[in-house]
Amino acid sequence: MTRPPCVMQKLWLYLYFPSLQLDTLLQQSSDTDIHKQAYIIFDEAKNQTCQLNEAAYQAGIRLGMGLGTASMLKADLQVIPYQENITQNRLNSIAQNLYLATSDICFFSHNGLLLRVHNMLNLYGDLVTYWQHIKHILLTQNVHFHYATGHSPLAAKLLAVKAWDRITDSKIHIEQAMSKCTLQHTELSPKSIQKLNRIGIHDVKGLLKLPLADIAKRFEIDIVTYIGRLTAELSHPVNFFHPKPYFNQIIELLFDVQSIQILQKPLLQLLAKLELFLKERDLLTQSLKVYLSQREHNPIKLEVNSQQGEYLAKHWEELLFLKLENISLESPIFAIQLLAPTTYVRRPDKQDLFAGKQGLLSPLQLRSILQAKLGKKAILTPQLANDYRPERTTLLNQTNTKAAADFPLFALRPSFLLTPPQPLQEKVHLASGPERIETGWWDSEFIIRDYFIAYNALGQWYWIFKTPHNKWYLHGVFS
Amino acid sequence: MHPTIRYLKNKNLLWQANHAYHDTQNELHTGYQELDNALQGGFPEHGVIDIRSPLGIGELRLLLPSILLRQQQNTTELTTLIAPPMDINAEMWAEFGLSIERIMLIRPNSERDVLWSAEQSLKSGCCHSVVIWHSSLSVAQTKRLQLAAEKGHCLLFIIREPKQEQISLPVSLGLQLSPDKAGVNARITKRKGAFSKKAFTVNMHHYWPEICQPRQSNVLTFPLRASQVG
Repeated sequence: MTRPPCVMQKLWLYLYFPSLQLDTLLQQSSDTDIHKQAYIIFDEAKNQTCQLNEAAYQAGIRLGMGLGTASMLKADLQVIPYQENITQNRLNSIAQNLYLATSDICFFSHNGLLLRVHNMLNLYGDLVTYWQHIKHILLTQNVHFHYATGHSPLAAKLLAVKAWDRITDSKIHIEQAMSKCTLQHTELSPKSIQKLNRIGIHDVKGLLKLPLADIAKRFEIDIVTYIGRLTAELSHPVNFFHPKPYFNQIIELLFDVQSIQILQKPLLQLLAKLELFLKERDLLTQSLKVYLSQREHNPIKLEVNSQQGEYLAKHWEELLFLKLENISLESPIFAIQLLAPTTYVRRPDKQDLFAGKQGLLSPLQLRSILQAKLGKKAILTPQLANDYRPERTTLLNQTNTKAAADFPLFALRPSFLLTPPQPLQEKVHLASGPERIETGWWDSEFIIRDYFIAYNALGQWYWIFKTPHNKWYLHGVFS
Repeated sequence: MHPTIRYLKNKNLLWQANHAYHDTQNELHTGYQELDNALQGGFPEHGVIDIRSPLGIGELRLLLPSILLRQQQNTTELTTLIAPPMDINAEMWAEFGLSIERIMLIRPNSERDVLWSAEQSLKSGCCHSVVIWHSSLSVAQTKRLQLAAEKGHCLLFIIREPKQEQISLPVSLGLQLSPDKAGVNARITKRKGAFSKKAFTVNMHHYWPEICQPRQSNVLTFPLRASQVG
């Protein structure tokens, strides 16, 4: 017995985010009063309003309005210039989060995401369960969204932009909804719409009645392609998104900030998002970059490193605030970007649960805290080098090293060395010696020295040497 | 003994000065017999030890055996050296038996950062011993370091010149060192729960026979080491 071939009906879900930049801005404040204030995002290039909040809508402001009209309708209107990168960045982070629930995501336009649904139904069983998962993720993102399903990417987009807000796989319902759309909702150019109007077509219903071959005879190829793709008669290739293994988020501040203390709150929000991002993917990161955009000066770049990979916001908070103590702001800050450029999968620490006292920090964490405040050059680990010249025996590393010395060590070496050796200027008694060190003939620092252990009248123990020219130097102190 | 006194003693109601606060279990041998005797056991397990000593008389060598012991007992923890007066010579530490990869050297730029890094290291719980070279300390700063050391079960050695101000700091142990032919002369200036005694000499001859001044004798020692030519 053969199974009947399963014809998978194609289904796409389009998510439309009408006010990404505004949502990103306003979610910084948990204060509810902020939503009573009218805000618009204004596109300076097109000279029109491109995003607005509920209060602005109530005042009569609509999308596409000019600045003059909008400000006449509402006197205390807050106008914020449109910034493509903030919208992009937010869309990217939404896609990153959606990727945890659905595999095929496409950046279909600058304010919308297209999800391929039909191949995910095998996992989720039915459309309702799938949508519940997607919706749950979207609700945690604190953004406004509209959605719709369609049998082609463009159909889903058309309905979502029209704010249909329904999830269905019924072809009849979708076609009914589509036929109610006017041509202004479609992506056709104003010129093409005008042409179609002239022959009496004003909505999608009329457009779909025409056979595709007839349209091709009378109109340009872009109308044909659009209609073909809308009805899924022509295939519509899309590029799917691959999640980046790093975290990058920009927030624009509600108001310019001049004090480091006030800056801490938005930074904490970013760190909390980073923690969630890393925790959900079981990742750790060892370094964070923070860019503070200043109003009139170049952005301040901060880099915070942790020797041990971390994801917890509270660890990064401690390191970052130590770093912030050392900077001063030249002009007010208007945006913050947090970037975790490299991440890696967490490996569990193998620690004995019962091995005595458990420290609060690991040595690597302590090292990171010290480095954040004092700088990398101040924290050193000694290492031995195989050289007979005493000043070359000790190397100081900025990183933690593990190499053990496997060459013979000499007894009777001082605990401290003077660099460079100082001429001996006091009377000393020799206690032991000499020990001749004659080495370094292979490089420029050839030495012949006779070392003695000596003490002075105050009882201090010195390590001194005599050169072949009978000059005496103090090289070390036996503390 | 009078029956009343015996009764009170059995009830633990009577306190005698020789039963002062003294927890032998928590003390680590210093590696020097004379010092162990004077301290009735050794250095405290954690706390602040204030050492006043001129540079180069053996003040660090006095601490080395106990640092080595602490390092062997705490195999994952660090020894932290903060603001040493000169460059440290790792060969001497390694030759004494310490694993130098578990030594962390901190060279802060300012005096304030010295105390800050000491406090961080002490309370981190991942350092067993911290040695700082620092000149001036106030009572409040010392108390803070003491609390941090107790939190992180860490031992802090503060090494400073003897001539500085003579206020009594709230440390666990205060030692004053002076040079001696056989090693160092030590006097306990302060000790929690005990009385200071007269000065004594710590003999370092068995660790470093060459770094001891010769006694008056007419025996010539045979040269220990031939010259090394590399």
